Amino acid sequence: MGNSRSVQKSFEKNNCHAVITNDHDLIMNADKIVLPGVGSFYDGMNELLNLGLIDILNESVVKNKKPFLGICLGMQLMANMSYENTETKGLEWIDAEIVRFDFSKINNNYKIPHVGWNNVEFETECLLYDGIPNNSDFYFVHSYHYSLNEDVVTGSTDYGYKFTSSICKDNIFGFQFHPEKSQGVGLKLISNFIEL
Amino acid sequence: MLKHRVIPCILLKDWQLVKSINFDSYRTIGHPTSTARIYNSRNVDELIILDIDASLNDDDINVEIITDIANECFMPLTIGGGIRTIDDIYRILNAGADKVSINSISLENSSFITKASSVFGSQCIVCSIDVKKINNTYKVFSKSKGLLDIHPLLLAKQYQEYGAGEILLTSVDHEGSTNGYDINLIKLFKDELKIPVILNGGMGEPIHAVEAIQNGADAIAAAYIFHFSQYTPKDIRNKLAEYNISVRII
Amino acid sequence: MKICVNCVMPNTKPDLHFDDNGVCDACRSQDTKNHNINWNEREKEFLSLVKKHRVHPDYDCVIGVSGGKDSTFQVLKILELGLNPLCVCFEPTIPTKIGRKNLENLNNLGVDLIHIRRNPLVYRKLAKEAFIRTGDNEWQNHLGIFTTVPKIATNFNIPLIIWGESPQIEYGGPASSKTRNILDRRWLEEFGGLLGNRISDMVGIAGLTKKDLSLYTYVSDEDLRKVGVTGLFLGYYFKWDLRDVLKKSEEFGFSVSDRPVETTYENFENLDCYSNHLHDYLKYVKYGFGRATDNACLDIRLGYISRDQGVRLVNKYDGRYPAKAVKKYLKYTGFSQEEFDKTVDSYTNKRIFQRDDNGNFIRDIDNSLVRKKEYIVE
Repeated sequence: MGNSRSVQKSFEKNNCHAVITNDHDLIMNADKIVLPGVGSFYDGMNELLNLGLIDILNESVVKNKKPFLGICLGMQLMANMSYENTETKGLEWIDAEIVRFDFSKINNNYKIPHVGWNNVEFETECLLYDGIPNNSDFYFVHSYHYSLNEDVVTGSTDYGYKFTSSICKDNIFGFQFHPEKSQGVGLKLISNFIEL
Repeated sequence: MLKHRVIPCILLKDWQLVKSINFDSYRTIGHPTSTARIYNSRNVDELIILDIDASLNDDDINVEIITDIANECFMPLTIGGGIRTIDDIYRILNAGADKVSINSISLENSSFITKASSVFGSQCIVCSIDVKKINNTYKVFSKSKGLLDIHPLLLAKQYQEYGAGEILLTSVDHEGSTNGYDINLIKLFKDELKIPVILNGGMGEPIHAVEAIQNGADAIAAAYIFHFSQYTPKDIRNKLAEYNISVRII
Repeated sequence: MKICVNCVMPNTKPDLHFDDNGVCDACRSQDTKNHNINWNEREKEFLSLVKKHRVHPDYDCVIGVSGGKDSTFQVLKILELGLNPLCVCFEPTIPTKIGRKNLENLNNLGVDLIHIRRNPLVYRKLAKEAFIRTGDNEWQNHLGIFTTVPKIATNFNIPLIIWGESPQIEYGGPASSKTRNILDRRWLEEFGGLLGNRISDMVGIAGLTKKDLSLYTYVSDEDLRKVGVTGLFLGYYFKWDLRDVLKKSEEFGFSVSDRPVETTYENFENLDCYSNHLHDYLKYVKYGFGRATDNACLDIRLGYISRDQGVRLVNKYDGRYPAKAVKKYLKYTGFSQEEFDKTVDSYTNKRIFQRDDNGNFIRDIDNSLVRKKEYIVE
């Protein structure tokens, strides 16, 4: 699911060894974990379930507090649940729901999916944004976004209205955009994650 | 605020990157690795590469070159040309591309769009429409079948229904001409679709990009200007910013 | 891969077309060159165009020179016609002793020569980045020539620039054209061989500033138009071939090398710079043909060798790893062998050359690449 190779490449570009794997042992022994993903929430959770990864991730990330980076769908999967197509439960690490962009209250001209470069306004300090100017543009491609119930927002973006574009809770980092596709600033973000 | 994208759109032929004029003659632009490196260093917003050999000659998708190009790109890469099966899309995305552009197959088999977008997500699927103007009417043009009696806007709306994520709209008449985009064409599309439209064909100077976006394009694609003129993507973005069009400034 | 049935050029060369009989268009052009052309008329046309564009009280034209056989021959030709050229030489990347000698020889033919000794520190930074980015280690040199020659022409108010060969046999040069006859920026981008990379892209690389790169910044279209900078291709107006050029330039002091130049079997071209031998090798790794193929094709077209002989020469000499040039290049740039190999490999044609199971290119004992069976020249 998703273009893991692109993510892997961005780590390699930062001289970091990154492995694409579903192997339980490798994941348990890794220093850090990245969950990329593009596609539907339902398919994403289904894959994790089928691969037996949900327990592994809970143990590594929630219990053992390994640094975790969720990208796009990877970020969304951390929420309580999503309303995409059917109601699907997520990993429940972040108190939030995933909802579709809804422009009915404002101007109806906004196109879905939200695709292209858009700026991220920093809301609170986040180590992964170190050295990156506020309001830098990152690459987004998604139709659904976070609706947070707890205050873990680190970055927000305007598309018709302000929505959460990044979060951080202890060792867990989530980005709605694709740092591996965001050239300089994206590579810097990845580099900061590696340096943690 | 969402920025308007400036996207180089280049053709791959015989393992070289080329530029075409009116879909007819080709000139070599450069080596794929070098071109991808240069564009990446120029911070272009995205890159579209269309494989002509796969498209016209039914050749196999050139996974090697796609991999080489993808390795150089840290921005979204769209690959098109000769895609006929779900497996083709798998291979292209596995080689490192982010989106695919489909043309002929969408004309022949609309359910392919639905299948592809449900397997890969609609954001991965760009439907490409080539357009010619005959007697003041716009018609869809197919490389294999010639002119079709379909209006491009109608076709785009259908593609949207079937699950396309974006539309790549190319004016065959304006392609390689450097006289500007087909503004009358894009005007027809303004505010008509719920998915983004990338306008392609005709850019010779930065001001053309302004005209295109002011008249309805969400993003613009170009080839000639980036290789045979002194204008860089930065010049184009600066021009757009001059006209208060939201664009990525680095 | 197809090979021309007449010469030995493969269709992996960019922009080359073969007709229905399998003959490449370079061979067909050669035919045209030999028939149906009234060279007297062409010479008259040339002289009248020179007269038309002459502005400077003393110089008739500007010629970009290297000291090689071609520029020596061009200078001789121009002097013979009674014209007075201002010669401009843009210093090569890694100059050779014989190259310097030949440049002096050209100077001693009796011409004013401006030898541009560009800032070596800036130039080296450009050279290193260009190699990685474009796969052309001479990118900055093409740029240097294409920018400084018009710059000199503009600054000295000498509108006419003379080059040697015509890229397309039917094209005399912008000066002869009714439209687009100024060497504007667009001309540079189309014909300058810059592969889409621009000098503006190089600002910021290794600390280079716009000011550092002012030598490589193209003259504004406005200034070009004021002076009317334009150009003519000598090869369109005068008939000559390789043998004439070599004979004449040697007669007037041009020296050839005492052994074949790396990557080919000839000893009279690319003598002025080691980096050029690497350039030829890079062409080979990208497209599967190099300098030896170019030389053999020309010799076949001129009737000096048979096609069979050409095939043998190509198989023996084309693309052999230029160890000496690489050594000099590494010393000049400071690249490690590893960095260098990585870049060259990223440009090497996976279709043509053999790789092992790990994806690494297979090499002979002298480090040369090995062609796949179906790509061996026959």
